[in-house]
Amino acid sequence: MNKLVRFSVNNPKVITVMMVIITIILALLAALPTLLPESFPRLKPAMIDTDPENMLPEDEPVRVFHQEMKKTFALWDMIVVGVVNNHHPEGVFNVATLQKIHALASYAEELTWADPDNPEHKSGVIAVDMLAPSTVDNIEPGAIGEVKFEWLMKSPPATPEEALAVRDKAKRIPMFNGTLVSDGDKDATGQTAAPKAIAIYIPLTDKHLSYKVASKLQERIADFGIGDEEFHITGLPVAEDTFGVEMFKQMALSAPLAMLIIFLLMWFFFRKFSLIISPMIVAVVCVIQTMGLLVTTGHTIHIMSSMIPIFIMPIAVLDAIHILSEFFDRYQESKDKRETILKVMDTLFTPMLYTSLTTAVGFASLALTPIPPVQVFGLFIAFGVMMAWLWTVTFIPASIMFIRQKSLDNFGLTEHNQEVESHSLLSRLLAATGRLTFQHAKLIMLLAVLVALAAIYGISKININDNPVKWFEPNHSIRIADKELNKHFAGTYMAYLTLASAAGDETVPATLASLEKAAEAKAKTLAEDGYEGVTAVFANLLTQAKKLAPEAVFRAQFLKLLETYAQEQAEAKTTPEVQIDAWYEAATFVSSEKQSIQTFKDPGVLNWIAGLQQHLLTLQSRDQRQLVGKSSSLADIVRTVYRELRGGSQEYYIIPDNRQGVAQTLMQYQNSHRPQDLWHFVEKPDETADQPGYRKISLWIQLKSGDNQDMQEVIDGVDAYIAGNPPTSPLTHNWFGLTYINVIWQDKMVQGMLGAFLGSFLVVFLIMMLLFRSALWGLLSMVPLLVTIGAIYGLIGFIGKDYDMPVAVLSSLSLGLAIDYAIHFLARSRELRATQGEWQATVGPMFGEPARAITRNVLVIGVGFLPLLACKCGTCIAMGVTAIILIGINIYQFMEAGITTLSLISIIGVVMLFLLCCLASRRSSCRQETHNR
Amino acid sequence: MNRFIFSIALFSLLLFCMQPTGKCAETESTPEVAAGASAEKPSVDKIVAKANHIAYYQGRDGRADVEMTIIDQDGKERSRQFTILRRDVEVEDDSPVQAGDQKFYVYFKRPADWNKTVFMVHKKVDGDDDRWLYLPGLDLVKRIAASDKRTSFVGSHFLYEDVSGRNPNEDRHELSSETEDAYVLKNTPKNPETVEFSYYLMYVHKKTFLPYYLEYYNSKGEKYRVGRAVSTETIDGYLTVTKGEMEDLNTGGKTVVTYSKVKYNTDLPDDIFTERYLRNPPRKELR
Repeated sequence: MNKLVRFSVNNPKVITVMMVIITIILALLAALPTLLPESFPRLKPAMIDTDPENMLPEDEPVRVFHQEMKKTFALWDMIVVGVVNNHHPEGVFNVATLQKIHALASYAEELTWADPDNPEHKSGVIAVDMLAPSTVDNIEPGAIGEVKFEWLMKSPPATPEEALAVRDKAKRIPMFNGTLVSDGDKDATGQTAAPKAIAIYIPLTDKHLSYKVASKLQERIADFGIGDEEFHITGLPVAEDTFGVEMFKQMALSAPLAMLIIFLLMWFFFRKFSLIISPMIVAVVCVIQTMGLLVTTGHTIHIMSSMIPIFIMPIAVLDAIHILSEFFDRYQESKDKRETILKVMDTLFTPMLYTSLTTAVGFASLALTPIPPVQVFGLFIAFGVMMAWLWTVTFIPASIMFIRQKSLDNFGLTEHNQEVESHSLLSRLLAATGRLTFQHAKLIMLLAVLVALAAIYGISKININDNPVKWFEPNHSIRIADKELNKHFAGTYMAYLTLASAAGDETVPATLASLEKAAEAKAKTLAEDGYEGVTAVFANLLTQAKKLAPEAVFRAQFLKLLETYAQEQAEAKTTPEVQIDAWYEAATFVSSEKQSIQTFKDPGVLNWIAGLQQHLLTLQSRDQRQLVGKSSSLADIVRTVYRELRGGSQEYYIIPDNRQGVAQTLMQYQNSHRPQDLWHFVEKPDETADQPGYRKISLWIQLKSGDNQDMQEVIDGVDAYIAGNPPTSPLTHNWFGLTYINVIWQDKMVQGMLGAFLGSFLVVFLIMMLLFRSALWGLLSMVPLLVTIGAIYGLIGFIGKDYDMPVAVLSSLSLGLAIDYAIHFLARSRELRATQGEWQATVGPMFGEPARAITRNVLVIGVGFLPLLACKCGTCIAMGVTAIILIGINIYQFMEAGITTLSLISIIGVVMLFLLCCLASRRSSCRQETHNR
Repeated sequence: MNRFIFSIALFSLLLFCMQPTGKCAETESTPEVAAGASAEKPSVDKIVAKANHIAYYQGRDGRADVEMTIIDQDGKERSRQFTILRRDVEVEDDSPVQAGDQKFYVYFKRPADWNKTVFMVHKKVDGDDDRWLYLPGLDLVKRIAASDKRTSFVGSHFLYEDVSGRNPNEDRHELSSETEDAYVLKNTPKNPETVEFSYYLMYVHKKTFLPYYLEYYNSKGEKYRVGRAVSTETIDGYLTVTKGEMEDLNTGGKTVVTYSKVKYNTDLPDDIFTERYLRNPPRKELR
């Protein structure tokens, strides 16, 4: 220690220049490639990443599957524009509003730009897949015996009747009801009423365009002027993207604000500009160095890493405050700044090193989470903390050497000041606390145990839940849109359930066996239908099949060879006239065998899916909310088209009873303006790869809430249903969609955080043992920490705040910081006890300067996180509030301020500590120490 | 259906055009030649009538086996096979501008689960066409509304109207330019609200009057859809397109149709084209 500090005190200029140069180099490494990318192609520019999906690594199975399924089913992330009209009796179904909706949809269709990565392609809105009244087909029975496909609303209606006709048509189509038009409207008596609202679904090539597209749509909506209708723009991509953008904006505001507040606070404590400017410099230097390193090493600035500055800044001034506080109190003893600072550093060096190490360990432990942005966040804050330590122990002493002796004349705890100081509220409170804790140790300890028990109960009630939309404040437009639209529609949170056939692609011999069996039945039917020569033709066919089977490797290949053979026989000149038609039928028969593994044309399977969908609607959350507003599947399409083919009567809303019927119904569906829609629901065949298709389907589920917990309930509900009602043909199921991905990463986060927390707890414990050279003292120092953190989480459990991402991150912060106080407290207590000899005698001095320094620190941290409250988004606020609660509890650990639960909780920590000390002093290791003295 | 099939079929022949796409279309126009030839240059109406005839009306009747392959932008393919029978109502007049009512019988063979599905059209020059559908899997005969003919034909990039033929009376025609080999007709719909294009260009070969290339433009003036004859043959004395395709430039997908076993003037009996034959297909004629 001495060497480093002495060097700094002796060569203040060298230290200063070194610090400045290192900072400038790191700043330039980050700034140059960002500002002048052409000139510095080898350096990494700053890259911004606002995608919460990146909370999981890109190769995470759930993300890979999500991307794969999006591709399989040609699905895109969507913006949802909900339109409601609370003034018109028919809601949006009036001429004026529908005209606006029509205009907005047409405008949205043209929101495309050249793709910067691929200039031949367009990026932006995918017009062909848009769902809007003007872009979808109505299917309905026409005149008697007819069926027709028509644009639902090709042009805006001219009369109120036409406007209502749009509503009534859409309501009949299950795929639209609750999705395109609302299904949640109620009349005055609470009965379900006719739809009043419309939602437009705008798919995007890339969800990162959602903010841009949403902004453009806002502009267009503003052009409509003031009307009766409200336009709500939502959808998870918008929420996530908006969140990212707002987060950065707020961070740009919060970090400087934090600086200002810390500055004012220090001014309040020390009232010496030349002295407090140096901790501020250390803070800024640490932020620049950390962020510079982050960018230079090629890490993206993610939502998480954008918070690094505001975390580092208060932490960076902590050690400096200890130094200044001690310097302030001791300066007048010698009036020699050099001698004082060396003395101060001698006292504080070890505790500061250990506090920095433990804080760094607390954050570095986040590297154990499986969430890359959290890892980066933790590691770089750990780096920043160690930088802060380095510059504090070097630059702070150095900077004191620059201060003119004369300007310190009236500085610090002069006799006059000492008098004032000893009567200050802070000092009095601290002194009282000291007495109290010592005198009523047993009582306080009992309370501590009670609070600890309460905390355990509270923790058991913790609700692990997250929902990106709830990261916004309740009055943010996204939250309002979310609420309004989920009131009218089936749900704006999308999850997709895939079902895949588990009945394998059969082997060639198995195919041959089932072919033989089917051939017998087919031959019989054909003979009954009057085909001639069937027996001979099918016998010939099977002989050929047995011949071809050994030549083929795959099922599809075998059947293709056999079909070609039959086709050639049908067309061969040598084939007897009477057998020609039979040969054509034989070829068709083989071809239909190829299709027999298309599981999702099987009426039994489709009926099973319809049953599953029915069951989904009955799923409820623990508080009795309906979870699934609606689901859409291939079964809905088949039933709807079949109903219209049968004249539109609801009794025909069923699955046809044979595969051909299903296939031909789907053929009709593809006669619409949007044949591609089918492939959003079922796997498309691909003849180039011999894939028959129809072996996977995607069930589109609209949830009313994006809470992880609700999604989890749905997942469990589906699992239970499938277990209790096995499908007629074996199916595997899996989930994708952003709502589902959130569940996964949050699961990982919670588990990862727990692991990280326990890991760092262990490391901190080891460090403590090392510091105190005693396992008992090490354990002791962990006690307030345990009680404090337990109390925080217990409180979260009690007040019902969801344990979400922001809260989880804070557990590491609390570990890192809370231990600081314990270290300082214990280290100084032991030191004092050594001089005072008695624990009781130690209490008085201990609650003097050391407690003051600790308390000042606690205030800086607590107040330093206050700017997070200025954020618009709820997460930051949650973080800010939790941080402040946490800091608050820590403050209370060392002083009593009013009778609140918090003060009780925290006092316990201290008291426990003291009490354990008392007990410990009677035990061998402590006693031994005393004897040694 | 078929107007398209035959129409494409008639698109016929420009061997030099058979190369990929639209090469002819891009051939530079030669106004001098056009001017010099103005004496013989046919009127726009005449070009339209001849092109319509060659596209849809060659012979008294005809049949073709069609293989339709849908190739999506992701490279995945799926195909349909069907046989088309066609019979003209006015059989007496086989003049090069004859264009009367017609009957089509489209019989699906593949995918196998569509086998025996029938689509029948009685196309009328004046008034709406009559269309029927027979779905054997549902044992259901349906009349199909003629309300919107610009919907997909069985999931392909062809529309019903491409297949059964857009009535020339629905568009205003003008000669927008000439290339060395082709008259380029600009066709603007008289009722724009009934179609999704704002106009389309049709390239009609000067010597054969085969329309061999179509370009559809949207309201922004962007080309978004292209149809072309890929190869032709002379069959039974008639210039016949044997391969054609329709491409959607918005999505990048396209559908290719190939014609085989094309025959003309086979004296198809008229009663085949009646509802009775929907459930009992004429096996011989469909072989």
